Amino acid sequence: MSAAAASAGLGFSSAVSTLLRLRVQTVLRGFRRSTRRRKFGTMVLLLVVITLLGGLFALSWVLLGLTRSPEFAGIAGDVGPFINSLPALVLGGAFLGILFTSFGVLLQALYLAGDMDFLLSAPIPHRAVFVSKLLQAILPNLGLLGFFGLPLLFGLGAAGGYNPLYYPMVIAVLVALALAAAGLASLLVMLTVRVVPARRVAEVLGFLGVTVSILCSQSGQLANLNHLSSGQTTRALQLVARLDAPWSPLSWAGRGLMRLGEGRWLEAAGRLALVLVLSATAFAVALTVSERLYYSGWARMQAVGKKKWAARPASRPNLWGSRVRGIPPAMQAVMLKDFRTLRRDLRNMSQLVTPLILGIIYAIMLVRSGGVPDPGRGEAPAWAMEAMRKALSFGGMAIALFIGWSLLGRLAGMGFSQEGRSYWLLKSAPVRPADLLAAKFMIAYLPAAALGWGFLLILSLLRRSGIGTTAFEMMVVALCLAGATGINLAFGVLGANMSWEDPRQMIRGSMGLLSALVSLIYLPTSLALFLGPSLLAPLMAIPAWAGGAAGLALGGAASLVCAIAPPRWVRHRVPGLGEG
Amino acid sequence: MESPSPLLETQHLVKRYGDKAAVDDVSLQVYPGEIFGFLGPNGAGKTTTIRMIVGLLNPTSGSVHVAGYDVQSEPVKAKATTGFVPDEPNLYPKLTGRELLQFVGDLYGLERAQVARRGEDLLRMFDLAEAGDDTIDSYSHGMRQKTALAAALVHDPRVLLLDEPTVGLDPRSARLIKDILRQMAGRGAAVFLSTHILEIAEHMCDRIGIIDHGRLIAMGTMDDLRGQGRKEASLEDIFLSLTGGAEYAGIAEVLG
Repeated sequence: MSAAAASAGLGFSSAVSTLLRLRVQTVLRGFRRSTRRRKFGTMVLLLVVITLLGGLFALSWVLLGLTRSPEFAGIAGDVGPFINSLPALVLGGAFLGILFTSFGVLLQALYLAGDMDFLLSAPIPHRAVFVSKLLQAILPNLGLLGFFGLPLLFGLGAAGGYNPLYYPMVIAVLVALALAAAGLASLLVMLTVRVVPARRVAEVLGFLGVTVSILCSQSGQLANLNHLSSGQTTRALQLVARLDAPWSPLSWAGRGLMRLGEGRWLEAAGRLALVLVLSATAFAVALTVSERLYYSGWARMQAVGKKKWAARPASRPNLWGSRVRGIPPAMQAVMLKDFRTLRRDLRNMSQLVTPLILGIIYAIMLVRSGGVPDPGRGEAPAWAMEAMRKALSFGGMAIALFIGWSLLGRLAGMGFSQEGRSYWLLKSAPVRPADLLAAKFMIAYLPAAALGWGFLLILSLLRRSGIGTTAFEMMVVALCLAGATGINLAFGVLGANMSWEDPRQMIRGSMGLLSALVSLIYLPTSLALFLGPSLLAPLMAIPAWAGGAAGLALGGAASLVCAIAPPRWVRHRVPGLGEG
Repeated sequence: MESPSPLLETQHLVKRYGDKAAVDDVSLQVYPGEIFGFLGPNGAGKTTTIRMIVGLLNPTSGSVHVAGYDVQSEPVKAKATTGFVPDEPNLYPKLTGRELLQFVGDLYGLERAQVARRGEDLLRMFDLAEAGDDTIDSYSHGMRQKTALAAALVHDPRVLLLDEPTVGLDPRSARLIKDILRQMAGRGAAVFLSTHILEIAEHMCDRIGIIDHGRLIAMGTMDDLRGQGRKEASLEDIFLSLTGGAEYAGIAEVLG
């Protein structure tokens, strides 16, 4: 290209295709340059996905065919309304899925990616940059939704013997709705970023994503699905079918597709044309408006957006307050700093909230069981049921330990790694490695023990446990978690990674796994030492209090060794951290 | 008269990464009240040398003494006398500027009241008082650079090391830093300054060291450097003739 042509810059379509081609080239080059093992893994994954797609299609075909049988109607009642609403439900799911996922992807691509300065200063139309980013955001999501939505809709068509035109139209409608959803998502991103800084939105989004996904995945355990009656199933399906509201364009799309499959051309054409025109209009309007908002939002973000949302301490006099005597000032400083940074960074909070949610769910299940194991079909021998009952009596302690252990994986295991690129401040300061290790130990141990105790106390109150038992369990939890803290902290030092960009890269994989494995071996072993003497005491005609005391001495000694020895072993590694 | 002991001294300092010597036998001294300029092309070993002096990197061989303390064997005592400003001001993004100064003051074991007084003075001096309660992730690069400098000054160090401190700063802030460095040297501190801005080095530094490919190839006052058989008038000429950049002057003609 001549210099004159280059200075004139690229046209809109050429620029979009150049930018998209660049993206494709980057992905392909990444694949070509990856290791043979990675290439093989990718190919296997691709094959698995294709097989799953086929399997999902076949399963949908067979299951949806079955729902039309009288036998099924006898079990689940009339599922006709549910089947009729299925296309609208799938399309609705796809639309909402793309809307939410595109929001996150677009936020990253438009505001947080490092290439925007370069692209906006290049001699290409800004609209081309915007559209290419939008398409890059949609394509992976569209693929993902295709993975779930298409086999189901195609299975419905195959089970119902639909007209062949149904199948290409399903794809066309999915694409149109995806474009509309992505357009609306971009508009939502622009509006949000005008109020809240992009980085903060990304943090909140990550936090909500983790919390909601854990809640959704675990809440099923609270439902008694195995005791669901036929009437309840019918009512549940009717409730789902109600989501197919007649006024919704998604419903028009679903019904339009079904009418097309059934050969009711006029009604199908009317509904589908309306949906396609509406989608195109929504996409065009969203694109134009959000494009305008983008440039002003970008400029505004650079200038003032961040400052407004910065954290503010409670009050200045407290900030320079007094120290606790007897604890080295450097240790207090590191603890206070970690407490502040952990609390303020939502990326950390999303990692910390997981054990809390799991703990609550397991605690509800434990309290609901009333300490009595589920008899099932009543075929289990009496001794097994008694053993289960005894095991359940330690359920509160087990939950408290599980929550503490999960927290320690993050707080102790990543205590050093979380320093990241700011570690130079600590390393160049006059801080003894022992003080640093002690501070990291305490900042991990105190919240884990406090949360474990909190759960244990609540569960003890709800289950009306005796004071002696509760006190014993509290000591066991405190000591066990101290040992787990030492183990996790030591592995955290060995696997520390200060050069992470994403918090998920904080600890090197093998060390994270080893840490989890060793602490998983440690916990039941130390529990056996704590509880063994108490359980054996009646058999050996020893008073119960003596058994408890022996357990505390044995388990306590083992826990304290694990709390102190591993950090001491790795202490010499601390001065060398961050040199890699 | 006996010359004072150096506040900063490196002896045969070496840092190797595999076969490559990033720093190769660097020996230098910086005396109380002196501003020492450390120059070199990109990748010459400036940052590695500084990181070894402040204890961020362990040398392969050789030693570093700061205020008489060996950085390897007495790191806590050596670090207690040192202030450091890195080239990249990576600070805890979720702390406020004011909290960061408090944190650093605590790390150096200062009294809270002293940290409070000095912290507020530094924030005011660097024009950060208003933003002092905002988290650092909302700061611009220049604000972070100034915060890093304030953090390095909280404990009033006897040895101050700065790696490219004026990058990303506006002229007013750059001037402020120069004034602070002069004041610190005036009060008897040793200042070790790495910079690419030769004008700063020429006008501010009492002595200059030039490093290239890990080796210290020249060291002395401006007059010493001119006297070492190099008659060039400016530091830029001396630097280019020593590090081999003068031959690239013709490139400008091609680009033009």
